Amino acid sequence: MKRGFPVALAVALGLLSLYPLQATGYGIRVMLQLFMWIALAQSWNLISGLTGYVSFGHVAFFGMGAYTASILIAKAGWAWPLACLAGGVMAMVLALVIGWPCLRLKGPYFAIAMLGLNEVLRVAVSYYEGLTGGGNGLSLPTLDASVRIYYAMGLVAALVTALTYVIITSRFGLRLMTIREDELAAEAMGIDTFRYKLYAFLLSAVGPGIVGGLAARDQGYIEPISVFPLVTTITMIVMALFGGKGTIWGPVLGAVLLFTFQEMVWARFIYLHQLLFGAVIVAVVLLMPRGILGVLQQKYNLPRTI
Amino acid sequence: MLITPAMIGQVVISGLLAGSLYAMVALGLGLIFGVMRVLNVAHGPLLMLGAYTTFGLFHWLGLNPYLSLAASMPLLFVVGAVLQWGLVRRVVDAPELSSLLLTFGLAIGIVNLAQLAFSSDLRSVEYLTGSFVLGPFAFSKSRLIACGFAVVITAGAFLFLKMTRLGKAIRAVSQSREVAQVCGINVQRIHMIAFGFASALAAGGGSLVAVMVAIQPEMGGVYTFKSFLVIVLGGAGNYPGALLGGLLLGLVEQLSSLFLTTQVNEAVAYILLVLVLLVRPTGLLKGRAA
Repeated sequence: MKRGFPVALAVALGLLSLYPLQATGYGIRVMLQLFMWIALAQSWNLISGLTGYVSFGHVAFFGMGAYTASILIAKAGWAWPLACLAGGVMAMVLALVIGWPCLRLKGPYFAIAMLGLNEVLRVAVSYYEGLTGGGNGLSLPTLDASVRIYYAMGLVAALVTALTYVIITSRFGLRLMTIREDELAAEAMGIDTFRYKLYAFLLSAVGPGIVGGLAARDQGYIEPISVFPLVTTITMIVMALFGGKGTIWGPVLGAVLLFTFQEMVWARFIYLHQLLFGAVIVAVVLLMPRGILGVLQQKYNLPRTI
Repeated sequence: MLITPAMIGQVVISGLLAGSLYAMVALGLGLIFGVMRVLNVAHGPLLMLGAYTTFGLFHWLGLNPYLSLAASMPLLFVVGAVLQWGLVRRVVDAPELSSLLLTFGLAIGIVNLAQLAFSSDLRSVEYLTGSFVLGPFAFSKSRLIACGFAVVITAGAFLFLKMTRLGKAIRAVSQSREVAQVCGINVQRIHMIAFGFASALAAGGGSLVAVMVAIQPEMGGVYTFKSFLVIVLGGAGNYPGALLGGLLLGLVEQLSSLFLTTQVNEAVAYILLVLVLLVRPTGLLKGRAA
């Protein structure tokens, strides 16, 4: 197991990097979306899975990245890879601005503040029509770059997962998990909890920012309701929760399983899509709040950080 | 643009009219949070069900929309109590993530069912239009009457919480569940009643706005958001705080639409919320620290 896992991982990454050589356009788009969900679920995991602070508006960073990148591409003529990186930077700036006041809030208040942030951004984007196109949305110049976006998206997903690995196995990660278990005790041990929460929050914003830009470039068109939906936040949370939050591979596993399920099953029940998703959420929350890896960890006494 | 005292007066009146309705709806959300520490994302969709009840009774039976309060509130009381007993009960002691997700799942399920049952077409209850004019001020008839009902219902709810044995039991559970249990209060039953009661308040709000705004399955989301704002502004778990927060939100929205534009209402209210949380994390009236 210990030696087999890196080999299997290398093989999987190798296969995924060769996949575009003989895939159809549709296949590439599907895989690209899967990478997007892995990056999103994993980023949410960084702040909420590790510190226990529920970011209930994480899609705000996705939307921020999408709008930053789209404006830079459409109005300033930037190259898309650069624009997407700028989207990541702007998402971090937003995280700093909002995290500075809000990370001092405890429990449900933080969740409400994050939910509000997302709603407000959506309203603000609709309002500043000159820059964002308002409710009419923003179209990007046409460009066929799915294969390149496939690699970029895959790279972001891999980097965010690698970052999670580095964090969870470091002292920084231990400090974050101490905050999750008992913030008061963490303070008493001399951990500057606010600073570490803020670092984790900034790191968790950059992935969604870049991914938002890439998704906008891939779709070629964005509008407020397409990049700021609450349901995107919920989807990344449920993916992380289903796989096992606070673990390295849980969000990846959850994203792969739920996304596959979504592609295979939900597309056939268009009218019942939301009802089924609601049922999945309720089932995950009630039946396995610790997630697949959480259950396995308990059963086989595995380390808490696989 | 010149702003006259009459305009300010008009804005204050409109703000209070809208705010009384927010206060009533948010009192329900605050009750659920106070009693069982659950943030109910499905509060807005429950309001939507109340609005459809009024629409249905008006459309098919020609029932006066204000009389339909007597149907929508008991109906949603039952729906709320059943939801609590069947699902929400299981996440009462879980971390807030569980209750947020569970009630979100409920919310999209309810919205989806409403879409299937009523379609996504915009519906309206055309009952009372026009305004009363009094000196320099104009009052929209439907808003004035809605405000009247909201004040009566909210006052009734407060009297209920203050005076009756059941109301006292609800307040006792929200102060300390363990002590209440030791005193012989059936906490499970109180949770169920509180959720039903809160759903009835949401339904009352739905019936009252049915006359004013377009009815559609996704109309509830914005009320969930506003109710969250109200209870945090006022102090979560503090019931008079919900009243204060509701009136304040109504005023801020109207003032920002006078000085800025209607579209930024929510942004202004949100900035106010963040400021309040920074200065007084427990809300304006002392709420419960999490």
